[in-house]
Amino acid sequence: MSAEATKADDGHTKPRADKPTIIRCQDLGRTFWRGKERLDVLEELDLEIPEGSFEALMGPSGSGKTTLLNIIAGLDRPTRGRIEVAGKSLGDLSEAALAKWRSQTIGFVFQHFNLIPVLTAVENVELPLLLTKVPASERKKRAQTALRVVGLEDRMDHRPQQLSGGQEQRVGIARAIVHDPKIIVADEPTGELDRQSADDVLTLLERLNREFDKTILMVTHDPAAAERASVLRKLDKGRLS
Amino acid sequence: MTLVGLSVKNIRRNRLRAVLTVLGVAIALLAFVFIRTTLDAWSTGAEHAAQDRLGTMHKVSFTMDLPRTYFEELDGTRGTVPGVKAATYQNWFGGKHPVREQEFFATIAVHSDTFFDVYSDMAVPPDQLAAWKEDRQGAIVGEALAKQFGWSVGDDVTLLGTIYPGDWKFTIRGIYSATRRAVDRTQFVFHWTYLNESIKDTMPEQTERVGWISTVIEPGARGADVAQAIDAKFEEHDVQTRTMSERALSMEFMGSFGAILTALDVVSGVILVIMMLILGNTIAMSVRERTNEHGVLLALGFRPKHIALFVMGEGLAIGLLGGLAGLCLSYPFINGMGRWIEDNMGAWFPYFQIPIDVAITALLLAMLLAGLAAVIPAYRASRLDVIDALRRIG
Repeated sequence: MSAEATKADDGHTKPRADKPTIIRCQDLGRTFWRGKERLDVLEELDLEIPEGSFEALMGPSGSGKTTLLNIIAGLDRPTRGRIEVAGKSLGDLSEAALAKWRSQTIGFVFQHFNLIPVLTAVENVELPLLLTKVPASERKKRAQTALRVVGLEDRMDHRPQQLSGGQEQRVGIARAIVHDPKIIVADEPTGELDRQSADDVLTLLERLNREFDKTILMVTHDPAAAERASVLRKLDKGRLS
Repeated sequence: MTLVGLSVKNIRRNRLRAVLTVLGVAIALLAFVFIRTTLDAWSTGAEHAAQDRLGTMHKVSFTMDLPRTYFEELDGTRGTVPGVKAATYQNWFGGKHPVREQEFFATIAVHSDTFFDVYSDMAVPPDQLAAWKEDRQGAIVGEALAKQFGWSVGDDVTLLGTIYPGDWKFTIRGIYSATRRAVDRTQFVFHWTYLNESIKDTMPEQTERVGWISTVIEPGARGADVAQAIDAKFEEHDVQTRTMSERALSMEFMGSFGAILTALDVVSGVILVIMMLILGNTIAMSVRERTNEHGVLLALGFRPKHIALFVMGEGLAIGLLGGLAGLCLSYPFINGMGRWIEDNMGAWFPYFQIPIDVAITALLLAMLLAGLAAVIPAYRASRLDVIDALRRIG
């Protein structure tokens, strides 16, 4: 993981003007059908996010935040428009290629942590590496390193039910960074946490952005969380304001 | 951790359910192995029956008897009918223990001079054999029968005649052991002359009659040729004969139970199908509960084929564990019971132990059917939409 970013006076990482664009959406649209009812969740959306930025996406429920996040993360496909992430035009990729691209490029942080309950912390973190050709011993070493980065070196062999919510989310973050992705997408990462744990998680995300130059896109309802990002974007009725 | 390890670890998710599922498979397998062992034991008598021994009986039915003179003629053919080495005759007596009437065992009146020459696989100590030949009312019993009724050499025994009514008194003069696995160790044999002389007044038409004649063929002789020669000898007599090997005779006897055997065969299959359906439902339920986790794995870059393989692996692992547990239950239970069956029902099941091929088949079937049970849940799990799956709260 490389540590290279620009730090502003307020301590936040600011997008650097000289950094290339890592996420580019052009005239993006996403339509869902509920029976015969047409739902245009995203409309004519243009967005450019430079590499190494930490951006928050806010908006009311149903505004299309998670849909946009899913499209950027390669979990969903747009109905219209073009999307390019980390140099790949996602619309051109097959499902298999998209899954492979996701496993290499994106780190996911979920609201409900989504850890596998029968696996220990280190095994959960190791999961994304199972898809690589990294040898088993090296996989374990990397998972242990990721857990040390998030400050859980003393919880490696604990199962999720033996961890607090904040610790579970930190394991989730370790899982998101273990394969050294360029982009971390976080969907309401503090939604299930108390204030203190939420602060710890946000501090960790800031650190990943600042020290390891990870591009972070975070969907949140929490103004305090959004304030920790370097850029705040608001989405309403499928359009960025 | 490996992909296989991840698949197997899912079994530990709900330990109680996993244990109950494995136990369910194990018990279904125990039932399957028991039925298959019963079927195998039933046919063992026929499969291991002596091939060098022929039985000659009435051509119409084995329930009809033959004149004893046939034995004289047959015995007299030694050296003239090619292949005949020794012969003896016997009558089905149909005796019962007067108190324990429900406990069946074969009671046979035999020609004492020749019987143990022909049935050399029933070993009697020489001194006991000599004592028996000297005692007109003497009897020789199988070791399992002696154990069953607590009889010892020298004991006086009274049997209740069913075909030949009355109380029949005997003295146990010997106990035979089996030298081959298919030999019934629960027979009660006594002198044919005792029977023949005893019924002269009450059933004169039954005297000088024998149930069937057994012959041993010379080494190298073809049983079919000898049988044909024997039957040809009596072709012009009033009573024609039918001769076949002991094995063919056993097969024919088994054939009369064909419907029961087929029904048991079907039941053993039905048990496994029911096991498969229950297992399929359990796996489907377990997979449904993990929809969110599968969504997470798909988001992380796992492919639908990985998800399907995880579910299949889980099914196979349950099948393997259930199969091994089933065999661990089967061996002590069935083989333990088998010893009791051999001792008490040796007439039908002279050898009742789990055949190795039944054990291997059962284990493979448990895995195969568990794999099949997982096919539909695996297919459905692999068809998950990642967004929908992630929406399900785990």
